[in-house]
Amino acid sequence: MRLSRTLALGASLLVLLSACTTGGGSKPTIKIGSDGFDEARVVAEVYAQVLEANGYTVDRAGIGLGTRDVTNAAIESGQIHMKPEYLGSGLGKLDPGKQTNSADTNKQLLQAILATKGGGITVLGYTPGEDTNALVVRKETADEHSLATWSDLTAVAGDLKWGLATDCPTNPICAGALKDAYGIDTETLDLTLLDACSTPMADALKAGTIDVAELCSTDPLIITEGWVRLEDDKKTQPAENIAPIIRNDILNQVGDKAAFQKLLDDVSAKIDTPTLGELYKEVAVDHKDIKDVASTWLKAQGVIK
Amino acid sequence: MDLLAGIVAWFLEPDHWQGPAGVPSRLLEHAAVSGGALVVAMAIALPVGLLVGHTGRGATLAINLANLGRALPTFAVMGLVIPVTAAIDSDLGFKVYPALVGLVILAIPPILVNTYAGVSEVDRDIVEAGRAMGMRPSEVLTRVEVPVALPVISGGIRSGAAQIIATATLAAVFGGPGLGRYLVEGYAQRDYPMMFAGVILVAAMFAVVELAFAAAQRALTSPGLRSAALEGTSQPARAGASSS
Repeated sequence: MRLSRTLALGASLLVLLSACTTGGGSKPTIKIGSDGFDEARVVAEVYAQVLEANGYTVDRAGIGLGTRDVTNAAIESGQIHMKPEYLGSGLGKLDPGKQTNSADTNKQLLQAILATKGGGITVLGYTPGEDTNALVVRKETADEHSLATWSDLTAVAGDLKWGLATDCPTNPICAGALKDAYGIDTETLDLTLLDACSTPMADALKAGTIDVAELCSTDPLIITEGWVRLEDDKKTQPAENIAPIIRNDILNQVGDKAAFQKLLDDVSAKIDTPTLGELYKEVAVDHKDIKDVASTWLKAQGVIK
Repeated sequence: MDLLAGIVAWFLEPDHWQGPAGVPSRLLEHAAVSGGALVVAMAIALPVGLLVGHTGRGATLAINLANLGRALPTFAVMGLVIPVTAAIDSDLGFKVYPALVGLVILAIPPILVNTYAGVSEVDRDIVEAGRAMGMRPSEVLTRVEVPVALPVISGGIRSGAAQIIATATLAAVFGGPGLGRYLVEGYAQRDYPMMFAGVILVAAMFAVVELAFAAAQRALTSPGLRSAALEGTSQPARAGASSS
């Protein structure tokens, strides 16, 4: 009984859907989805509002859907059409260990895999901003030792108390990268191992238990505490820039495909790492409405009115 | 089978037995944190338990407060006290004191409740006999009630110690010392032999402490209270005689 009703509903939806899409509006309804955490949600909302402002209808039901396992399945099955994806993590999910420190390479590798998924998925232009592993210090530590980059840490590594990820000693992009690229031997450091990007890691930096903390580059606390994010100047960490990925079938229904892509690429180009951190912070820490956060920023950028 | 071989290999690796991350220093750290927490918990729970058990006053309040402590997740306690302890000492206040506070709160309930129960359930005839012999209240407590209640009190301390040893591993989540480091680092590094080595070492410490308590309990129990089967026949009669 129940099954037949579900089937009937599904069938009628399918008819409805095909009626809409083959009906040939040049601006189809875009179902936008995202991973469950606030940063992914707010970026998805930014894309949603840009499309809406340009005459597209947007379905937001998939925003904040869940983990990457869930959102990947959703976009491959067509439950959602589009979602913001982190180039490094997205690639790592589909082909573990292939992430590189180059956003372009990660994009190409990701595109090659996604071309075969769900009838073809396209990776659009990525943001300059990224959410990747960052080394963060308190303002006074940065001032005292004139720290701006990871290279600046090499000379004073022994004077500082370090907080690195619990898996750092055996992780090639952590202990390996610090040693090979920066000449910092983690075995000689005053080192506390804590979860990367975790509350204990941030609390330890706040308390002065550690001076250098491995956090995520858009962690809201970096803004609220006035901490300094040091630049990975030798580019050792995986590039985690964000790009919208979209199903080819929906992209092909768009009347002016080039204009559509330019719309999204232009807004992506404005999202740098501080912006990402600020948007994330306003949602996660200030508990502002996600739509307001996105629209306020887009208006300030002159993208929407 | 691979895991078993991995665990054996882990224990046979000489590097794992030396330096600050080696087994001896991790065992020592674990024992220090656990022992410290147990001593503080005893210093709080024993006097309160004795007083409440002896006088019978405030029992409901004390027992319920203590039991409330059982419901507090140690992890939550640690997270909550960090801002306070870290302000006192930026290093130990983050890595060690939160665990100590959490473990003390964990161990107070079994010690307090057992001490209260042990003392308050001493046969009233024996207590009356003590008074009739002219003992002051403090003498009744130290010479009659405590010796009689000792097995129950010590059972409470044993159970507190067991919980402390297992839970002290949580300190590692906040970068703290002890055997928990093997669990936290082993998990993060997907080094399962290291994790299981940590589990085995915690279990081993637990077993040693249990044996030590059992021996101490036997040694401390008044001869008059030991079971007749173990101690022969004449001494229990003496305790019986003094109460009549």
